[in-house]
Amino acid sequence: MKNKLWIAAAGIGLLLGVAPVWAHHAFAAEFDVNKPLVLHGTVTKMEWINPHAWIHLDVKNADGTTTSWMIEAGAPNGLLRRGFNKASLPPGTEIVVEGWQAKDESTRANGSNITYPDGRKLFIGSQGTGAPGDKGDKGDK
Amino acid sequence: MNQRLFLWMAVAAMATLGSVSAQTAPQTTPKSAKAAADPKTPWGDPDIQGTWTSDDTWGVPFERPKNFGTRATLTEDELQARQKTVSNSEEFVETGGANHSPAKAQLDAKEKGEAAPAPPPGRFGRGVDSAPVPGHWGEFARRPSHQTSQIVDPPDGRLPALTPEAQAKLDAKNKVRREAIPASYTNWSYYDRCITRGVAGSILPVIYGNGLQIVQTPGYVAIRYEMVHDVRIIPTDGRPHLNSNIRSYMGDAVGHWEGKTLVVETTNFLGDRMAVGVNGDGGAPYSEDLKLTERFTRVSPNTVNYEMIVDDPKTYTATWKVAFPITQEPGYQLFEYACHEGNMAMHNMLNAARLDDKKAAAAAAK
Amino acid sequence: MIVAASWAAIFLSVLPAAGQTAAPRVPRMADGKPNLTGLWQAMGTADWNIQDHSAAAGPFYQLGAIGAIPPGQGIVEGGEIPYKPEALQKKNVNFTNRFKDDPELKCYMPGVPRAAYLPYPFQIIQSQKDILFAYEYATTNRLINMGKPQEAATDTWMGTSNGHWEKDTLVVDVTGFNGNAWFDRAGDFASDSLHVVERYSLLDANTMNYEATIEDPATFTRPWKINVILYRHREKDARLLEFKCVEFTEQLLYGDLVRKPSK
Repeated sequence: MKNKLWIAAAGIGLLLGVAPVWAHHAFAAEFDVNKPLVLHGTVTKMEWINPHAWIHLDVKNADGTTTSWMIEAGAPNGLLRRGFNKASLPPGTEIVVEGWQAKDESTRANGSNITYPDGRKLFIGSQGTGAPGDKGDKGDK
Repeated sequence: MNQRLFLWMAVAAMATLGSVSAQTAPQTTPKSAKAAADPKTPWGDPDIQGTWTSDDTWGVPFERPKNFGTRATLTEDELQARQKTVSNSEEFVETGGANHSPAKAQLDAKEKGEAAPAPPPGRFGRGVDSAPVPGHWGEFARRPSHQTSQIVDPPDGRLPALTPEAQAKLDAKNKVRREAIPASYTNWSYYDRCITRGVAGSILPVIYGNGLQIVQTPGYVAIRYEMVHDVRIIPTDGRPHLNSNIRSYMGDAVGHWEGKTLVVETTNFLGDRMAVGVNGDGGAPYSEDLKLTERFTRVSPNTVNYEMIVDDPKTYTATWKVAFPITQEPGYQLFEYACHEGNMAMHNMLNAARLDDKKAAAAAAK
Repeated sequence: MIVAASWAAIFLSVLPAAGQTAAPRVPRMADGKPNLTGLWQAMGTADWNIQDHSAAAGPFYQLGAIGAIPPGQGIVEGGEIPYKPEALQKKNVNFTNRFKDDPELKCYMPGVPRAAYLPYPFQIIQSQKDILFAYEYATTNRLINMGKPQEAATDTWMGTSNGHWEKDTLVVDVTGFNGNAWFDRAGDFASDSLHVVERYSLLDANTMNYEATIEDPATFTRPWKINVILYRHREKDARLLEFKCVEFTEQLLYGDLVRKPSK
């Protein structure tokens, strides 16, 4: 579908162009583009810290052992402004993280694409701030 | 690669986008609202208080692409193209990104025995920097700006030439920023180090965290910036600047009212560290002689026109000016941005650099 | 003189600030509320230890008398902090490691109530509605929301502050702490279930009583209070200056990850 392609290209082109001056730090210094990974795991903790939130994830290995991973996500404040809060990602939630492992070879990774197991994206849309006129406004004035 | 060049490329990319129909967004300064735009505080000063964001200037290049010449505003067609990027960026944030899975694409290729897709050029032409920032990171402009650039003076919208000393400082800084294996935390910007983004860097729009809050009381205006939690306490009682022996990143600001405009003059900067540019790092480091003159004028209930004149003869061969509106948005509020406290990236990047040192030493020993 | 001052302190701390009948002559806003705008600072050594403490040597003998810990009378009502036994153990561990673990050492945000009695001034900017507190230390700041109270969206160092006026006293209810801040350099602390109610009452134009009620069932057996007097800086042109301490801590925090000069 041509339109869809355009939109995807626009989003990515935009981000490619402006990301260098956007991101808080140089990813390449922290994560290794040659170590892509996909992790299926269970959230143990979500740290709402700036400049980047960190999701703690327990990942079951093939041999039955568990490895704890830390996944770097975006700046929390934008998510808070969209109405997410500290209860939005409770421990026990299963998620899938696509990203890159840390350059220092620790069990840390950058979360480039974070979804629920059924493919739905985490952290999408606005949860509503309750402000008048906001799409999440429940009408309680 | 030059960051500025990169921005132009981004804009050029936006301009060549397809023609999905776009609805016209509201103007930033509705004329009808102007009549109601002069609120006063109980003590009689113009009231510019509230939480504001420069989000709407997101996507407007800092310097004007050369093909626009001295044209400061977009044509209707160009505006429609920008509206599209605004809508797309909103959609990107609202949908979490359009099915981009660059890491998985690499893995899939590996599985099929194919060569990994080459990473497109990033900040320094390599690495994860080139990966699209996930949709959940961003905030976005709500309406398209008519401006062809954030710089409005000189008339071509471009930075005046640097002095030779400033060019040398810029070259030296870029060399440090681009060292293959960073030696120290000082290789990174003051923003990366969570020290500050400076006065200009705190308001020039970036991917997120473009919010600021203005609070007034008789004799003072305070401006509080979300990211890296800077605050400026600006006396408006006519007092002079601090002695030049007291210098700081955010400088010494004094203000006064000219009609309904707040004029803020800031001096006493620490020189040779920050730049007047994106995140306080884009561009040549300014000197300690830098003087910034800012004007805040409320032109509608939800719009303040902001402008900043940059005067630093040791760095720029002429003065220059940026101007753009900041707006109030429903529900937009500031949150604590404890940057240094949570700066795990600095630790991780340095840890990676030391591992790279070891690998380089081992390779050299072979 | 000293006797008179301490009598005055006792008298004032006993007097419920909200119930003062003869309102002191203080600067006021157009709506009649006291105007707290100004540059304020606590005297004393509460940041070293909010409890009574003797003078002591500092950790670095090279600093001699400059690095010594000055003596001080505590600011805790009743003198003792009602720690639960396991919390007291943690406080003692904090005390032992205080010159390594104190968040102030790392230029981390001070939290509430510590921000009020740090050895740095802070600026209050009081608008007709919300009130800004800007602290010199670490350019920390917080806005006191005077409108409809807001719940904390997430846990933070400085918490979420909702204020209201009780007669001439500014009462600030602070919740949503992350539990990382300490109360002083002696390792006194609270958890993320901390709830602080601050009361700011002008005693006259240039002094202000600061009282904070501290409640944290995870750490203390009962709520307790601290009480400090804040003084207005009256020096000509006194201003809040910039103390960005991050860069003074980087070698401490990251020094072991900096490349060593090759021999």
